[in-house]
Amino acid sequence: MTQPAASPSTSRRRFLKLAAGGTAAALSATRPVRAQSKTITILHESSFIKPFDEYVQNVLAPAYEKQTGIKVNYEVTSVGSLPTRISTIAETGSGADITMNGLLQVIQFGEKYLDVGDVAEELGKAQGGWYEAGKEAVLVNDKWKAIPFSNIGQLMNWRTDWFAEVGVKKFPDTWEELYDVGKKLKAKDHPFGFELGHGFGDNHGWLYPLLWSYGGAEVAPDGKTVVIDSAETARAVDFARKFFKDTMLADVLGWTDVSNNKAWMAEQISCTNNAESILWFAKREFPEIGKVTDQAMNPAGPKGRFHLLNSISHSIFSFSPVREEARTFMRWLMEPKQLGGWYAVAESYYQPLLHAYDSAPMWDIEPRNRPYRDALASAHLPGWPAPASRQLAESVAKYVVVDMFAKACAGASTPEVIKNAEAQLRDIYRSA
Amino acid sequence: MTIVSGRLSGAGRVAHRRATLNVLLDRENVFGWLMMALPLLFLAALVGYPFIYGMLLSLQHRPVAQPGTFVGLKNFAADWRDPIFWQVTVNTFVYTGAATLLKMVGGLCLAVAMNQHFRMKNLVRALLLLPFIVPTVLSTVAWMWMLDPAFSVVNRLLVALGWPKPGPSWLGDPALAMISIIIINTWRGLPFYGITLLAGLQTVPPELYEAATIDGAGGWQRFRFVTLPLLRPIILIVTLFSVIFTFADFQLVYVLTHGGPQNATNLFATYAFDIAMGAGQLGLGASIALAMLPALAALIVALTLYMRRS
Repeated sequence: MTQPAASPSTSRRRFLKLAAGGTAAALSATRPVRAQSKTITILHESSFIKPFDEYVQNVLAPAYEKQTGIKVNYEVTSVGSLPTRISTIAETGSGADITMNGLLQVIQFGEKYLDVGDVAEELGKAQGGWYEAGKEAVLVNDKWKAIPFSNIGQLMNWRTDWFAEVGVKKFPDTWEELYDVGKKLKAKDHPFGFELGHGFGDNHGWLYPLLWSYGGAEVAPDGKTVVIDSAETARAVDFARKFFKDTMLADVLGWTDVSNNKAWMAEQISCTNNAESILWFAKREFPEIGKVTDQAMNPAGPKGRFHLLNSISHSIFSFSPVREEARTFMRWLMEPKQLGGWYAVAESYYQPLLHAYDSAPMWDIEPRNRPYRDALASAHLPGWPAPASRQLAESVAKYVVVDMFAKACAGASTPEVIKNAEAQLRDIYRSA
Repeated sequence: MTIVSGRLSGAGRVAHRRATLNVLLDRENVFGWLMMALPLLFLAALVGYPFIYGMLLSLQHRPVAQPGTFVGLKNFAADWRDPIFWQVTVNTFVYTGAATLLKMVGGLCLAVAMNQHFRMKNLVRALLLLPFIVPTVLSTVAWMWMLDPAFSVVNRLLVALGWPKPGPSWLGDPALAMISIIIINTWRGLPFYGITLLAGLQTVPPELYEAATIDGAGGWQRFRFVTLPLLRPIILIVTLFSVIFTFADFQLVYVLTHGGPQNATNLFATYAFDIAMGAGQLGLGASIALAMLPALAALIVALTLYMRRS
C-alpha cells in the first residue's frame, strides 16, 4: 500500500479538490442583502469649487432622505473622466441613475436618456423661463433629454494694474482694440496667454467665438453643409495669427487647460480666456493677484460678440430601475430653495440658465462675475449655427477648428489651414 | 438483503469511477491540460475577448450608446483618408524608434556601470528604479513643471547660459514637444532596461573575462566580444517588451500635451481614445487602435525568428 502523502498523484488530486472547493466557495459566497430603502445614484464631475460637491453630500442628500426615505448617493468622478464614465454606464446599463452632462454628451447619449420635458417645462414656467442657450444643449429632435443646470462660461480675464500701465481702464470692446493693447503689453513683458493646444475648454472657449464674431462657422444651419472655407474665416484666421505673434507667449501652442491658470498665478500673463475659476482661486490663494484680476465679456468682431456655451445638465438613464423616483428627485432638486442654495455656495461659477436667477443675490457676492450672466444671451455650442450632432462631437474631438487656428499661428498660410480644415470637416459631416 | 447488496453495488460503482478518475489524473497529458485550463480561461476572458470584441467593433459603425451596423472595412478607409491618422502613424514610429534606441543604449551603459563594485551599490541600484516605480501620471506632472517656461529648471539654466528669454518652448514647438516626450519616456523606461540587463550581466561567467584578459583583450574588446554576444538574447527580449509598451503609450502624452501642439505628439493610443470616447465613435476608435497591430505583430515575429535562429 502506498503512503498517501508520498504519492504525487494523490497530492495532485488533493490540490485539485482544494482548488475546486475554493472556487465553489467563492462562487457561492452570500450576496449582500438588497437594501430595503431605495437609492438614487447621481454621477457628477468633481467640481473645481469644493463646497459645491460637499453641499450635495452634506446638505441636499440628507435633507431628501429625511423627507422621502430615499437615499441619494452623490458620486464624484475626476475632471475629464465624465464622458468615459457615462459611456460605460450607457453601454452596460448600470452604474448610476442620474448623470451630469458636459456640453456634447446629451447628443451622444440621448437615446439612453429619459425625456424629461415635463419637468423642464414646469421649471421654466415656475422660474422665469429658460435661456435659449439652456435649451440649445439639451434638446435632441425637440425632446428635452436633460434638464439644463448651468453654464460655466468662458470669458476674458485681465490684469487691471498692467492694463492701466498702458492707459487702459476699461476692457477693450473689440478684438482689434484688444490686439493694440496686447501689443503694448507684450512690449512691457506682460504678454497675453490664450490656449492654442489640445485642452478641453480654454481653446474652444475663445476660438469659436472669434470665428463667429468675424462671421465664420464650420457648418451651415442644416448641420450638413461645410461652410468653413469663407472670406470671414480667413479674416478670423489672419487676426488670430497676428494676435498670437504680437501679443502672446510662444508656449500657448502647447498649452492644456491647466496652463493658463498656472501662468496667471505666476504673473506671467496679463490676459487670458478662462472660466471664473481664475478669480476664485486667486482670491483665496493669491489675494494680491485677486485684487487686480477682473473679468469681461469677449471682444466683438465685425459680425458681433459671441461666447462659448459650456453648459452642464442632468439626465436620467432610461434603464434605471428608479427612473421615476429620479424624476421626482430632479423636480425637488430644481426647486428654488434647493437650487438657489446649491448655486450660491459656488458664488456664480455655475451660471443659472433660468431667468428667475438673473437678479439673485448670488450675483452680488462678487460683482466682477456679472459679465458671465450677461454673456449667456450670446452663448452657443461649438457647431453653431447648426444644432449639436455626433459629427460635431467628432470635429471637437479631432480639434479641427482649434488646430486650424493653431497651425496658422505656428506659421502655415491661411488658405492652407482652411483647406485642410475643410477637407477634414467634409469627411466628418459626410455621414450627417 | 437485496437492499444491502444494491447499496454495495452502488458503492462499488463509485469506487470504480474514482479509480478511473485517478488513472486519468495520473496521465501527464490530462493533468497538464487541467493545470493549463484555468490560465487559458483567464487569458481567453481577459485578453481574447476584448481583442475579438475590438476587431468586431472596428468593422462596425458603432456610435456610443447605439446599436452597431456592420460596415466592413469602411472605418479603415476613413482612417486612410484622415490626415491626422497618418500624422499619428509617423509620430508613433518616430516616438517608439527614438525612445527604444535611447533606452537600449542608455540601459546598456547603466547596466555596465551598475555591474561595477562601488560603495552603497545596492542603494544606488534601488534608487535607479524610482522613475519606473513612480506612477506615470505623477512623474509626468513633475515634468510638466520642469518644462514650463516660467518655472523650468531647464530654461532657467539655458537663460543663465545666455539663451534669449524665456528659453525654448518645450511643449509649444512641435519638434521640441516630440523630443520632450521621447526624453521623458526614455527617463521612465531606462531603469527597466538597466536592471534587466544587469541581471543578464551577472550571469556572465567571470572565467570568460579572465580568459579574454589572458588572451590580451582590452576593456572594449571584452565588452564587444564577451558581454554583448552573451547579452544578446536578453537585449532582444527587453527590446520586444519595450517596443510594445512604448508603441501603445498613453498616459504620458494624455497628461502632458493631449496630443498637441497640432497633433505633433498624438499617438495611436491617445488618438484612438479621443475618437472612441471624445467623439463617441467606438468603431472608428477601434479601427485606429487596431492599426497598431500589423506593425507590432511583424516586429514580434521578426524578433522571435531572429532569436530562434541565433
